[in-house]
Amino acid sequence: MTITLQSARPQLSPKRDCDAVDPVYPQIRDLVYKVSGIYKADDKLYLLADGCGRRMKLAGVRTPREYWDRLTASSNRDAELRELLNEITIGETCLFRSQPQIDALRKVILPELIAEKSKQITKRLRIWSAGCSTGEESYTLAMNMLEESERLLKGWTIEIVGTDLNDRSVETAKAGIYGDYALRNTTDFYKRKYFTVVDDKKLQVRPDVKKLVAFSRMNLQEDSRMLFMKGMDVIFCCNVLIYFDGISKSKVINHFFSNLNFGGYFFLGTSESLMKLNEQFHLVHFPGTIAYWKPSLSSGKL
Amino acid sequence: MNPSPTVTMTATTTATIRDRVRRIKTMPAIPAVFLPLLKLLAHDEVEVEEVVRLVSYDSAIAAQCLRVASSPLFAMAQPPKSIKGAVMSLGLRRVETIILTCCLGQAFPTKKWVLDPIVFWRHSLGCAMVCRKISEKLAGADREKAYTAGLMHDLGFMVNCLVFSKEFAPVMERACQEGIPLHEVEQATLGFTHCETGRALAEKWALADDIVEVISHHHAVEDSQKAQPLVALVHLSDLLCRMRGMGYGYYERHKVDLMADPAWAILKKEYHDLEGMDLVRFTFELDEAVETIHTLVSMIFGSTPTPPEPSSPEKRGR
Repeated sequence: MTITLQSARPQLSPKRDCDAVDPVYPQIRDLVYKVSGIYKADDKLYLLADGCGRRMKLAGVRTPREYWDRLTASSNRDAELRELLNEITIGETCLFRSQPQIDALRKVILPELIAEKSKQITKRLRIWSAGCSTGEESYTLAMNMLEESERLLKGWTIEIVGTDLNDRSVETAKAGIYGDYALRNTTDFYKRKYFTVVDDKKLQVRPDVKKLVAFSRMNLQEDSRMLFMKGMDVIFCCNVLIYFDGISKSKVINHFFSNLNFGGYFFLGTSESLMKLNEQFHLVHFPGTIAYWKPSLSSGKL
Repeated sequence: MNPSPTVTMTATTTATIRDRVRRIKTMPAIPAVFLPLLKLLAHDEVEVEEVVRLVSYDSAIAAQCLRVASSPLFAMAQPPKSIKGAVMSLGLRRVETIILTCCLGQAFPTKKWVLDPIVFWRHSLGCAMVCRKISEKLAGADREKAYTAGLMHDLGFMVNCLVFSKEFAPVMERACQEGIPLHEVEQATLGFTHCETGRALAEKWALADDIVEVISHHHAVEDSQKAQPLVALVHLSDLLCRMRGMGYGYYERHKVDLMADPAWAILKKEYHDLEGMDLVRFTFELDEAVETIHTLVSMIFGSTPTPPEPSSPEKRGR
């Protein structure tokens, strides 16, 4: 079913107003959503317009309407769409990128998982940051787990796995050195507690944080590797699925589903959704964020 | 939630609530037009002139209605200049919902709130809006009825603030501290919830049966006997609001699985369209409206900006 936009007026900054409300942009937004599950709300439509603008310049296209034709009717439309998706998702990586996700993890999911797994002999939680890029998300998770280590997670072993296709990203992740841009959401509390100063512009993650995370190179499309990633409690895969076509995407998601323990959770990027790619996951809401849940055996919802 | 002796609701409790609600003298200085309007709403055929006449009795209400009608929530190219103009361009039923919003807002004294009134109104108006937005996707659903139901569902919190403020204050405090849904703490510590106190007032005001049903059962949809789909709609919208920054101003530590909720099945049985609804996209679209709700609440209830609640969705995008 197609859901049309309601009449709420877009809240745009005045100088961008005329650009972003070009009727083509909501159309492009719908196309992007259909293909990738990424949704740019009205108040973020100008970001989509900016991305289109940069692509239009490079592709030598003058009007948004012409660009729409290129995205839908030209022979290289798939490639162009891929470029546009790249354009609108770059720069989304930083530490503490999504506070609602972190809150959901610490305030709701961890207590739930711990209550459920406390009867097991090994008290162990495994979290996977799939498509971890340069490690920001993995370390954010590690620091938050350390914050809980004296209370909720006392006596528990935490393993965080960060994987990425790109060798260089993995090496950067291992080094754990970040500048202002990556640290823009990191509070002084975390900076003081979990980083050491490299120079006046850069901070490095402390060894006790690094100890929690194992980084490795991995292609999510490699079935043989995916089969060995079992036993996860939570998987984060933010802004990665856009790089896959429909069939591989659905295959990867099915792998994630089977790699999760019963009762485990799967997070996407904040504007991303699974749409109908996997009907076994339950869409669940937490305050300010959504996730996908693999029902626990005891919930009777499988 | 920490175990605590659960107080159960007895016939005596119900009688006490009714009695205390009946005896309030200061209660709801509701604008004179409110109850006649509700009566009008109950009829299928409503006279335009009658509504215009009623509203014009109260110039404060009339002025506020025009401001609300001009707000982005009702997105009109030309803001209406008169109540009649608003009726003509927005349609009668929509104007009625605007009038109800304004009337209800004027009904309660500002001093007695335990719950932050701005937070309360954001939630009530938010829920009204979500109810209407969902019903827009369901063929045959009465959108304005849905809006009214969403707007009034938590009437009981007003009663709690006015009549049971001493008992309600620690409930609110515990809910905030522990992140537990308010009705659960009410039940556990008071032995009744805002559903019962709301019902007492709704009956005193002789509100329509289906609205009374919504007020009484929106936390236990299966207990409702009448208007179950409407009760289910409000229940789901209420949950969604609380998960998207329009809750009670504190972080609720739980997950919500809307599609596995019995209310979803009840609503789907009545409206098959629900099956095809893209809930994720609906959620994302909803965030666009949150700011509108905040603006509207400040407009009607003249607030200084209250910061977004801790459960607000972050700004998506870069």
